[in-house]
Amino acid sequence: MTTTTTPLRASPWVTGVREAIPLLGGYIPIAISFGLVAVQAGFSAWEAVAISTLIYAGASQFVFVGMVAGGAPLWLVVAMTLLINVRHVVYAPNLAASMTTSRWWPALMHGLTDQVFALALTRLPQLPEAARLGWYTGAALLAWLAWIAGTAVGALGGEWVVERWPLLGEVMPFALPALFLVLVVPRLSSFRWGLATLVTIAAGALLAVLGVANAGIPLAALCGALCFFMVKRSPVTRSRS
Amino acid sequence: MTTMLWMAVVATTLGTLLMRMAPLIWMRRRLAERQTEDSVEPMPQWLSVLGPLMIAAVLGVSLVPAQPSIASWSATGVGVLATLAVWYRTRSLGWPVAAGVAAYGLTLVLAGSL
Repeated sequence: MTTTTTPLRASPWVTGVREAIPLLGGYIPIAISFGLVAVQAGFSAWEAVAISTLIYAGASQFVFVGMVAGGAPLWLVVAMTLLINVRHVVYAPNLAASMTTSRWWPALMHGLTDQVFALALTRLPQLPEAARLGWYTGAALLAWLAWIAGTAVGALGGEWVVERWPLLGEVMPFALPALFLVLVVPRLSSFRWGLATLVTIAAGALLAVLGVANAGIPLAALCGALCFFMVKRSPVTRSRS
Repeated sequence: MTTMLWMAVVATTLGTLLMRMAPLIWMRRRLAERQTEDSVEPMPQWLSVLGPLMIAAVLGVSLVPAQPSIASWSATGVGVLATLAVWYRTRSLGWPVAAGVAAYGLTLVLAGSL
């Protein structure tokens, strides 16, 4: 897949912040929910904020507080939380070729969530090299601060927000699938990628319907990858038979 | 929180950070080796395939409404179509998302008033 770099009209930081704004539609309602759930599970508001600041991995944070509240052994809490986050292992290598030689990059990986990765995978190769670190820092920092702020709002006044604007809580989370859709659609450019991507989306949705959303993400990706490699190998198999 | 619970938070934090950071350090070394040795592949193919497909998987999972009903599924379908239509016209990030959310919300409101 070839990409063309385009010059930026604003500073890289500002561009990164601006382009990460669509993430907030998905981040803030989920962060508010997390703050609310954490307080209901017996954590104080500042403990909930500390968890969001330090762990900073959406779904696994819900599992963490839920298991702690349920009295699960702490080693199991840590193991389950890390298991959910294991998908992050494949993110940074996919971005490495688009990164500069700056020593800041490894530390900035704390902000590499699903959403930031999806955005960076599309945008980093399109940016001039000198703008990439600033762009990523702006985007990742906005997402991180929004997650922390959302958690604080949820922990301190989540119930009030949900009671006052119930529709907001229902509608805003759609920003996340809408953003992922916009990031995934350009990959439907070839039959092989298109088929693998559609199989992955369908498998992910099916597994979520079946109630295995967290394990469903790596499983669905594996289904898509299998499809990707089978499409490549199918002509060879035919010629042998 | 107890000291043990704080230790669990710290362990989870370090583990998650390591999963995000260590593969980058490994990959950067690999890319550096690639510059000196032509025989080293820049990235294993399975890794370059799994990365984008993880995002497709997250999309699939996130498309399923939290409270499935005819109204929420219809709103999801309308939201997806609106997002795709605006993306096709603008090829931008922000407007398609805004249009998708608006269409999703409008469908939910209309379905609720029926």
